[in-house]
Amino acid sequence: MNAYLITIGTLIVIYAITVYGLNVIVGYAGQISLGHAAFFGIGAYTAALLSTKAGLSFWQALPIVIVISGLIGILLGLPSLRLKEDFLAITTIGINFIVEALFLYIPFFGGALGIGGIPRVVLFGVKLKGLAFFLLCLSFLVIVMVICWWFTRSWGGVACFALREEESAAASLGISPVRFKLLAFVIGTMMAGLGGALYAHYMRFISATDFSFPMSITFLSMIVLGGMGTLWGPLLGAVLLGILPELFRPLVDYRILFYTALLLLMIRFQPGGLLGEGSLVRKWLVLKPAGDHP
Amino acid sequence: MTDILLQTRDLSKHFGGLKAVDRVALEINTGEILGLLGPNGAGKTVCFNLISGVYRPTAGEIHFRGRRIDGLPSHLIARQGIGRTFQIVKPFASLTVLENVLVARGITRYGRFGRLWAPWKSGSEVAAGMEMLERVGLGDLAHRKAGLLPLGNLRRLEIARALVVGHQLILLDESFSGLRHEEIAQLEALIRRIRDDGITVLLIEHNMRVTMELCDRIVVLDHGRKIAQGDPRSIQENEQVIEAYLGRGGGRHAA
Repeated sequence: MNAYLITIGTLIVIYAITVYGLNVIVGYAGQISLGHAAFFGIGAYTAALLSTKAGLSFWQALPIVIVISGLIGILLGLPSLRLKEDFLAITTIGINFIVEALFLYIPFFGGALGIGGIPRVVLFGVKLKGLAFFLLCLSFLVIVMVICWWFTRSWGGVACFALREEESAAASLGISPVRFKLLAFVIGTMMAGLGGALYAHYMRFISATDFSFPMSITFLSMIVLGGMGTLWGPLLGAVLLGILPELFRPLVDYRILFYTALLLLMIRFQPGGLLGEGSLVRKWLVLKPAGDHP
Repeated sequence: MTDILLQTRDLSKHFGGLKAVDRVALEINTGEILGLLGPNGAGKTVCFNLISGVYRPTAGEIHFRGRRIDGLPSHLIARQGIGRTFQIVKPFASLTVLENVLVARGITRYGRFGRLWAPWKSGSEVAAGMEMLERVGLGDLAHRKAGLLPLGNLRRLEIARALVVGHQLILLDESFSGLRHEEIAQLEALIRRIRDDGITVLLIEHNMRVTMELCDRIVVLDHGRKIAQGDPRSIQENEQVIEAYLGRGGGRHAA
């Protein structure tokens, strides 16, 4: 298979894993986050440091990476999630800039040079590259999607939906707003951590700018485009926004302009995303939204 | 049978210099419908929000079934068995009517991390949810999106949610406002049935006729203070109440 396609495919799958995390936070629990790239970066740097400095294998490091991403998620989420809407958005942007700055200016994190020499993932004594690594990422994506699917069917998930819809009504029914926002945030940041770890071992060289604010916007654009809170939307968004820049290489400098225009158009004409309820794609596919059939 | 279910002592809530609720003593007896009455800005909804944990009292105590509950957050008050509705309805709009009620049925699980992972739309839960919807008369709308319902049905939906949580006490915040005549009659019948099922009801209401017909007892607030309490008849004749509503000397003109 074409190496170029595999490269794009692998990145799309890694982004999709991360974006599913963002979907839990924004789509399920309704908490806006404009700093998701920070948690993607925390996962990547943790994985990079554990493999280059501590000498751990990808598999030994992965549980630690996920736990650390989740713990930092709790640490940063606890004060942030008490804020609402615009304030939360601004705070999460701030988190993104601070985390990026820490990576950039603290020598331990490699400073402006970033971290290089990250080893490939080894499975059963084989170094995974190309198609094999793509399939590894794909299996992780399937796991992440199954977790999301299960979460939407669980009591924890429905508590988050209720919070998203009406926080005070949810609280009057026994749902602790802080606890369930934090739950969604931790699940989301752990998925971002997993995505980051895969990214680090795929690129084998990472630097702070990979995790800057525009990356957060890209992640958010992916779920807005695909369909917030849906099961397949984030994947569709990641695929479309992963392929488009490749098709329009000469316009790469205008990417952010394009994303902004896309966000505005989507919110104006298809607020639920391409796969959201009542969207054109759904009507075209004659998919009925759940609950519309008596 | 004057078993006190909920009692407030010197309950106060100040917003800066404004004494929204000022040293109010309420007693709600088990099994009664108690009406909270008063002109706009009298502190009725603030009282509700204190009891249901939305606000923390500035001073005073709230006791529910012998337990002190003032200062607890909303979700913990709900777990004591107190359900409430909202003056401005707050349905989970993108969920169906049935799903709205199922959210409330999770109340026994939301406090325990290990019990959060089971599927929420199990057969037994759906059956129990449907039973509750039948009880409030929303059975045939179960699969409709809550956001699409008219106001009267949304008020019923909020009562259904409150009933799941409030197996002891439900607080109804102006459930009648904005309803049509026949809807009011149906809702009155529903609230009587709820009381007859052994659930205590505290309600805020502006509609005098409804309050007088429905309530066993009435407490009147004005400027944050309790100015009267008693059965509907005595309240109707109370000088202070007439003055609060119509102004000084208003009673004479009204008569």
